[in-house]
Amino acid sequence: MRYRLISWALPAIVLLAVVAGFAYVYWSKGGAGAGLYSRYWSPDPVQGYWDPANFYQSIETVEGVFEAALCIQCHEGITPGIVVDWRASRHARIDEPVTCDDCHGNNHQQLRLPTPDVCGNCHNKQHGEFRDEARYGFPSHVLAMERAVDAPHFADKPKAEVQSCVQCHSVATKCDSCHTRHLFDPAEARRPEACITCHSGPPHPDDESYFASAHGKIYLAEGKDWDWSKPLTKGNYKAPTCAYCHMDGGRHQVAQKSLWKFGLREINPHTSKNQVLRERWIELCRDCHEEKKAAQWLAELDQERKLAWRKLDKAEDMLKDLRSDELLQPAADERPDYPMGSLWPIERVGFFEGQASAFYNVSAIERDYFEMWYFDNLGAYKSAAHGNAAGVEDGHRKMAASLDRIEAKARELRHLSKDGRKVKLAPTLTELWMKGAYTDYNREHN
Amino acid sequence: MQMTRCYRMNALVRLLGVLGLVVHSVSAEERVAPGPFTDNECIACHAERDPRLVRQWREGPHAAASEVGCGSCHGDRHEDSSAKARKAQSCIGCHEGAASHSYTTSKHGVINTLGEDKQDWRQSLQPGRYRAPSCSYCHLHNGDHGNTMAPDRGPEVRQWICSGCHSPRYVREQFANAKRQLEIADLKLLEGETLIASAGEDRHGTLAKLRQNLIRHRKNVLYGVGHQSPDYQWWHGQPALDGDLIRIRDSVLQVLRRKLVSDKPEE
Repeated sequence: MRYRLISWALPAIVLLAVVAGFAYVYWSKGGAGAGLYSRYWSPDPVQGYWDPANFYQSIETVEGVFEAALCIQCHEGITPGIVVDWRASRHARIDEPVTCDDCHGNNHQQLRLPTPDVCGNCHNKQHGEFRDEARYGFPSHVLAMERAVDAPHFADKPKAEVQSCVQCHSVATKCDSCHTRHLFDPAEARRPEACITCHSGPPHPDDESYFASAHGKIYLAEGKDWDWSKPLTKGNYKAPTCAYCHMDGGRHQVAQKSLWKFGLREINPHTSKNQVLRERWIELCRDCHEEKKAAQWLAELDQERKLAWRKLDKAEDMLKDLRSDELLQPAADERPDYPMGSLWPIERVGFFEGQASAFYNVSAIERDYFEMWYFDNLGAYKSAAHGNAAGVEDGHRKMAASLDRIEAKARELRHLSKDGRKVKLAPTLTELWMKGAYTDYNREHN
Repeated sequence: MQMTRCYRMNALVRLLGVLGLVVHSVSAEERVAPGPFTDNECIACHAERDPRLVRQWREGPHAAASEVGCGSCHGDRHEDSSAKARKAQSCIGCHEGAASHSYTTSKHGVINTLGEDKQDWRQSLQPGRYRAPSCSYCHLHNGDHGNTMAPDRGPEVRQWICSGCHSPRYVREQFANAKRQLEIADLKLLEGETLIASAGEDRHGTLAKLRQNLIRHRKNVLYGVGHQSPDYQWWHGQPALDGDLIRIRDSVLQVLRRKLVSDKPEE
């Protein structure tokens, strides 16, 4: 009897839980913001320009329905730069020109900022590839905006501050990140510089690592004179560029060969799925190099990753040990809660616990690990993947130095607690982490 | 119909203006020797021809603080001396590091770099003549030799310059957001300085060094919003400031803990 009850009650409970889960996710996406935490935030006024589908609202000061000729006539006086640009574009020069109203609409009170779907009306091959990139998961271009707004620190921090995030992550919501308006010249998008506005800086020095590689050096010396109107296929370019490798053949799907997933977490590079990706890389390198050589480079990258993760694991273990011995100072309940708060205050260590948002409101040793993982490690990875040996060396030297710092700090924290028990901060010291001009502002404005 | 006629008139007036300028510059070009000229020779002539320009240069930081004269940007020959100075490269030679890197990696900087060879640099720095702004397009707009982006010029001047390509509302919103981002960076700076002051001592100069980092990273946010570089707003800016605050707190904690121990009466 009891067995029978369990046999149908248990699946029913599981089913209910799953349905409730889906319902909760659906409900949580219905707020003023966007994404999983949409009910916790509303957008900064400027966000409509970065995520038009969700937040752009047309101005209402100009009334009327206009044809392209009239748009041009007026905007030649108001914003001449964009008219000159458009005139020089292919849109203006083809037999049936693509005019202002084709992309923006013609009712001036209901104008739209073109989203990828708008561009996709004509450029359906590229748009299809771009949308289909979602199947490779993070990191990718098409999922970049979701990734940004679903980060706890995005929901937590003042919305004006995190507008800098969506400027790059808008690669998912607009096409002009690479095809700058209103020229939209593919020749421009093919050049490596088209990528560096976002692919630069400590966590992804793609620009530095590529320009310092043999490929990048050839580009810097001779690239100016190459014919950039040619498609990204074998024989057209003397050295590969960002787009040549990551969007070979013009395929709008940068994640299509993403093997090591940005170096963010450890993966097994030899699963059957990854074997397919490896073959894609080797096939591409064979445009210029021997197959054996390409396979060797991939193996070298695997080796570099193994070394990096050995160092990172060591640091992560040290932090997790300190956490289980309750020696992190201040502890999670003695500082502002993890971005976005949680039911049980806990220190987040490592990729799977949400380390990417644990770069503020944390103790010094946790920040050290964040920088080791996000800056030193990713710098080494990018250098290894782009063939910049000096950068790999530099990244690993930085990782070793970070590891030393973390080790010394861990010793210090253990020393504070001679009997191995948790050390509470003196009451006069707890305020140190809880108060401050920005900390207070952030608590009120998220 | 009224509006159309108005724009036609406008175009006609502008055409006449441009023609006048061309005639003027060609006739002027003929009278001037090719050079080389020293700065004093340039000034001797231009103080009469363009008194405002020379005065602006004299009153600005270039003349006063760093002895940057005409030749530093324009070269010492008369031909193409303006075109030469309009290119970003003529500024970047001195303004290196974050100040120019935030621009060269921005979309404006990238478009400018890639299109430099196709651009006609002999044109004056006015709307519709440059695909993307170079340093001079914004900071010396229309040949103004004071800094047209300086705060004391007021927001209207800055917004007017950007409006050559961007809609007035877009420009207004971007500037408003920039202001909010800077206010946030200033709160972080204030938080850090208050913490440092609360320590009361700085034995090894650690806190002084951390304060320098705060100031540098706050400046990066300014470069980031000014040059529209997301990388400087964010990675070189806000989270870097967050890291500074954590390290300042940690150093202050150590100082205060030491004080607590030494204040404790001996048992």
